[in-house]
Amino acid sequence: MIGFNTFMTTGLAAPRRSTALGYALLAPSLFGVVTFLLLPILVVVWLSLHRWNLLGPIEYVGGANWRSVLTDSSFGNSLLVTLTFVAIVVPVQTVLGLAVASLLARNLPGSGLFRTIYVLPWISVPLAIAVLWRWILAPTDGAVSTVLGHRIEWLTNPGMALPVVSAVVIWSNVGYVALFFLAGILAIPEEIHSAARTDGATSWQRFRRITLPMLRPTMFFVLVTGVISAAQVFDTVYALTGGGPQDRTDLVAHRIYAEAFGAAAIGRASVMAVVLFVILVGITLVQHLYFRRRVSYDLT
Amino acid sequence: MTSRRTPPAALVYLGLALGAVITLAPFAFGLLTSFTTAHQFATGAPLTWPRPPTLSNYTGLAGAGFSRALAVTALMTAVSLLGQLSSSILAAYAFARLRFPGRDKVFWVYLATLMVPGSVTVVPLYLMMAQLGLRNTFWALVLPFVFGSPYAIFLLRQHFRAIPDDLINAAYLDGANTLDVIVHVVVPSSRAVIVTLMLITVVSEWHHFLWPLIITSGTKWQVLTVATAALQSRYNAQWTLVMAAVGVAVVPLLALFLVFQRHIVRSIVVTGLK
Repeated sequence: MIGFNTFMTTGLAAPRRSTALGYALLAPSLFGVVTFLLLPILVVVWLSLHRWNLLGPIEYVGGANWRSVLTDSSFGNSLLVTLTFVAIVVPVQTVLGLAVASLLARNLPGSGLFRTIYVLPWISVPLAIAVLWRWILAPTDGAVSTVLGHRIEWLTNPGMALPVVSAVVIWSNVGYVALFFLAGILAIPEEIHSAARTDGATSWQRFRRITLPMLRPTMFFVLVTGVISAAQVFDTVYALTGGGPQDRTDLVAHRIYAEAFGAAAIGRASVMAVVLFVILVGITLVQHLYFRRRVSYDLT
Repeated sequence: MTSRRTPPAALVYLGLALGAVITLAPFAFGLLTSFTTAHQFATGAPLTWPRPPTLSNYTGLAGAGFSRALAVTALMTAVSLLGQLSSSILAAYAFARLRFPGRDKVFWVYLATLMVPGSVTVVPLYLMMAQLGLRNTFWALVLPFVFGSPYAIFLLRQHFRAIPDDLINAAYLDGANTLDVIVHVVVPSSRAVIVTLMLITVVSEWHHFLWPLIITSGTKWQVLTVATAALQSRYNAQWTLVMAAVGVAVVPLLALFLVFQRHIVRSIVVTGLK
């Protein structure tokens, strides 16, 4: 859990005073932050008003890219696909992560080994994981078809592709999500649980009335970071479906890529990037406001 | 759910084991296939035990340029790691232990950049690299990541602030300059968090795909992820070879994870990795 509250405190004990030294130490990172994080934001807004095909000259076109993207069904489709994807991935990985964490929190012998196993998909390279699943789900000689004994078009059936891509992402994330819940559950003082037990609360009641409310800050963190990262998934769709079939898995990060480097329409891609940026910053700001108001409770 | 007791241990183990099977089976299937000959895979059923296990897929990868891709990936990771860590340590020291005008404002700017999503910056970064003539160079691969990360700086700053003043003042009294103090006092007393950061950086560098995909072309500066994707689209049906590529991309990272897993698990919880 990131201590957002500590972001707010800036007073320091007896630091040394030195302007030149301070900025000298900041120089490399300041250069990096300005050049590779702040400047690109300006450049992408500027590019959204221009036409560029990656090779030729860059020409100013005013709002033409914005009109073309915002009236174009492909971007609307991508936003809808992304929304659906997020709406599948985030709730499912959160519930499963919480379930896994509850099992691990029993702290039975061997729990550490299981915890390690569950994180393996997350540590693994997302692109390679997607390629692995592409084989596993391959209709003729894939692992699942072999086990089941008949072919299923997991990734080329328009109705199935997005849920299947979501499932692969969920498979990768559950162990990671569980780590946060595990840390949250282990931080709940045991006395609260034993007091409730004494009062005759069942394990389900204790979960509903103690664990879940106490996990609220963790839950919020997991949901918000889950939404932000799911809204940017690229590698998995690139290797699993390439956005198909019929653009049913054309997540917005993939659409930006296809627009920029497939169709060589940098201006249009930049419009989409600006829209995605505004959406993601909006979500992050909501998170910050929430954390400001709801100071995490400390029982010690 | 009328029981007052918690679910019995056997049930918990059943759940844990089920999760482990679902997690490990895809890896096991992939690994098995990577040691199977293309002939056996095509003629026998997939998922049969390799008879005999073969390394031919892995040696085949060497012919497909994977040795170079592995070297490029390792170099990219090492250079980014060194640059990012040293820049972040210097900045974190300035934020944590020095007082100078504008310090807190600059720190807020750093924090604000945590909100900048990578999927938004690739298009403008591509233009910037193209203008500098850096497309398809090693520098293009590492430049955006080598100058420190706001996340690392935030995390290090917390730890540097906790170092006792006496420790640092004593070093200054002994005639040390700031760089000496950082190298000989600050870094050694924050060893745990620095190891943690190193691991996070290695994992996220090794994962890189979109940026190398667009900024490099051909095999010269191809990294493992891009090489794996290219191999998969070129040899779509040669799954034994493709699974070996997946193995090469994944196994070094998993080995690192298994060695340092306590550190990494802790670091994920502390920082939210990426």
